[in-house]
Amino acid sequence: MLRFLFKRLLLLVPILFGVVTVTFLLMYVIPGDPVLTLVGERYDDETLERMRSELGLDKPLPVQYLNYLGRLARFDLGESFVTKRPVSDAITERFPRTLALAFSAMLLALVGGVAIGLLAGWGRFRWLGRATMVFSLIGVSIPVFWLGLLLIYLFAIKLSILPPSGYGGGSIKYLILPAVTLSFASMATVARITRSGVVEAVGEDYVRTARAKGLGEMFVLGKHVLRNALVPVITIVGADFGSYLSGSVLTESIFGWPGLGRFIVQGILKRDFPVIQGSILFMAIVFVLVNLLVDVSYGIIDPRIRVKEKSG
Amino acid sequence: MPSIVRKRATLFALLVWIGTVLPSCGTEPDNGYLRLALETEPTTADPVGSVDYSSGLVSSLVHANLVRFTPGGELVSDLATGWDISDDKKEYTFHLGAARFACGRPVTAEDVLYSFRRLLDPVRVSPRWWVLEDIEGAPAFHAGNAVDGLGISNQDDSTVVIRLSRPSAHFLSLLAMPAAGIVCRHDAEERGDEYGIQPCGSGPWSIGEWKEGDELILVRNPQLRSGRQALEGISIRIIPESMTRIAEFEVGNLDILEIPRSELDLWRSAGAPLLSAEELRVVYIGLNNSRPPFDDPMVRRALNMAVDVEAIIVHVLFGAAVEARGSVPTALRRSPPPGELYTYDPDRARELLAEAGYGEGLEIEIWQRENPEGGRVLESVQAYLADVGVRARLVTREWGAFKQAVDQGTPDAFFLDWFADYPDAENFLAPLFHSRNRGGGGNRTGYSNQEVDSVIDAAALVSSAEERWELYRRAEEIVYSDAPWIFLWFPVRYEIVSPRLDGYRIPVIFNGQRFLDVEI
Repeated sequence: MLRFLFKRLLLLVPILFGVVTVTFLLMYVIPGDPVLTLVGERYDDETLERMRSELGLDKPLPVQYLNYLGRLARFDLGESFVTKRPVSDAITERFPRTLALAFSAMLLALVGGVAIGLLAGWGRFRWLGRATMVFSLIGVSIPVFWLGLLLIYLFAIKLSILPPSGYGGGSIKYLILPAVTLSFASMATVARITRSGVVEAVGEDYVRTARAKGLGEMFVLGKHVLRNALVPVITIVGADFGSYLSGSVLTESIFGWPGLGRFIVQGILKRDFPVIQGSILFMAIVFVLVNLLVDVSYGIIDPRIRVKEKSG
Repeated sequence: MPSIVRKRATLFALLVWIGTVLPSCGTEPDNGYLRLALETEPTTADPVGSVDYSSGLVSSLVHANLVRFTPGGELVSDLATGWDISDDKKEYTFHLGAARFACGRPVTAEDVLYSFRRLLDPVRVSPRWWVLEDIEGAPAFHAGNAVDGLGISNQDDSTVVIRLSRPSAHFLSLLAMPAAGIVCRHDAEERGDEYGIQPCGSGPWSIGEWKEGDELILVRNPQLRSGRQALEGISIRIIPESMTRIAEFEVGNLDILEIPRSELDLWRSAGAPLLSAEELRVVYIGLNNSRPPFDDPMVRRALNMAVDVEAIIVHVLFGAAVEARGSVPTALRRSPPPGELYTYDPDRARELLAEAGYGEGLEIEIWQRENPEGGRVLESVQAYLADVGVRARLVTREWGAFKQAVDQGTPDAFFLDWFADYPDAENFLAPLFHSRNRGGGGNRTGYSNQEVDSVIDAAALVSSAEERWELYRRAEEIVYSDAPWIFLWFPVRYEIVSPRLDGYRIPVIFNGQRFLDVEI
């Protein structure tokens, strides 16, 4: 296990080097000049040139790249072109908010999706199985934007039980609507996968044996059926966690959630190179680490994987 | 996994969740606070860095200037209680009143000098340095030469003398811009780059708390004479989506809401008491005057006649605009616009195109930035142009790429607008049509007419408002006839305010409303 972890962590180096290089080069390939977005509507060429040199953008590309690598080696993500404040400060402030949102969404998707999938696959209520399929179809096809606005209309305007948007200093009631919105598609997928896993497991011999032993239905479902149905679910949720983090951009915009997603979008719109490069690098690290965590968790949930590794 | 380990893991996960979800609780503004929302967060509250609308707004609420605009757009004294202008109209002497910065220090002539030198700093270049470019020696100072030659000095602690290189009738208006806000020298030097989030001005408000990406809370400047403002403070929330802002207003969390045009009919039919005001903004399709086919005025006039602007206003903009029959918005005019030269007349447009040698038709590209409303407008324009044989291809780019292409003169035509920096006809005619400002200066069509240049230059020297307007009217008439653009409209802004609010009006210029007369 340790060797596996070490190998995976070592792999981080070339991956991150690739991310750094690609994001750096992308900045210069895409059209749009950062200085032009900084100067406003009225400027003269001299101001443009001087601002460019102040930001170090007048240097040849290889020099800029080496400077950038040098800064990274000192763990310095640089300062935003626009606000002149350190990018790392903004990430430190905003990432916990995005994490809170992503984590809550993941929890919702997992708990809600597994519960629905379990009930649907159980076989006691056939209509529930069909309803799950419909819910799953709606869940994956509903646009996040529309769902968000619908929830705001229903819970904030009509029922007045939740605030429409904002961060509220971290209060849970502000988190509910964005978390539900962000989790919806994933919850639907989890429900569907859990259902098919449960349907398959319910027919297995060991479940019949467990029932024949006279074990309670809840115990059979929880201990024997669910555990076997859970491995693909973890894969899905784990893979989705990365997209919760990066895909929260829309949700954050609709609900005015001051997270990292909105920060990156603002950075992209303003061609704020240090913000884009720093945030993407940070997200890449998180993404890779989450994937590693998912891989490790397989072994915990399914002992067979550990056995295979040992015998291999 | 043993159950005890599993239980602990579950507990740990729960704690992580609670830890990330429940950080410190924020302070909710109480009832004496005005609650506003902005689409984008201010990037800074530092006057020298304030380029975008949000930054300019906050910076001007926090900083006082020598002079300022009222909500009605009149120029009145702010820090300067009075000023004298020399006979040659080149020397301005400002007398400062007894004001204090939020940090408690008195506002002195030295702070004014420091603030203006800071705006002209040759090292940390401000994109807005041009606000002071009429001051004697300012361009040289800004370029890093002639440090001693700058025409700003202080006679004593409360008297500032500014000498201009040439008379400039709109100079006082420039001094009311956010960029010319007066900063506290002590705090600006001490805080460096942090000054942008911890500014110290002598405006009516100071920053109480800045929750990045979420909310900005302004509180009363403690040093301001009591009784000047009824509000306790202003809460400005950052809400990017217009539909979310509407929801916040509907549940009573916002006091002022700008109604998106697409929602206007709904609010009108509900009988909502809307406020409205024509903006100091002109929307146009710029035609690249420096190369065929739009180097020929006849073709440009033809295009102006080919598009039924009024129909687009009614059907696409829901009536929320005034047709532009010139380039200066109504609020800044002293006489009616040039006229009916370009009423919708597709037959005449075809004739003109044929006379110009394009009887067989014409193919052009119209560029626009990403914007759903712009898309709908240009699709209508495209259809009108097709009707007279002009096949227009629409090219959409995001803002940075669009601006770069337009400033380099790449597109044949482009859809753009121009906001006023200060309420003066000069601020439309000079940047948009003076040949000196071609490219990034604002004249993005490359239009050049010597007569227009000289009339605009002459107007800057005249102090009588009537005479100045006469000159600007003449310049506008020539421009209108030359048709460097397809003239479209001046947008009308619609707002609704909560019933608990009193004394608010939509300001003529955005930094004219400082919420001093607003009550809850």
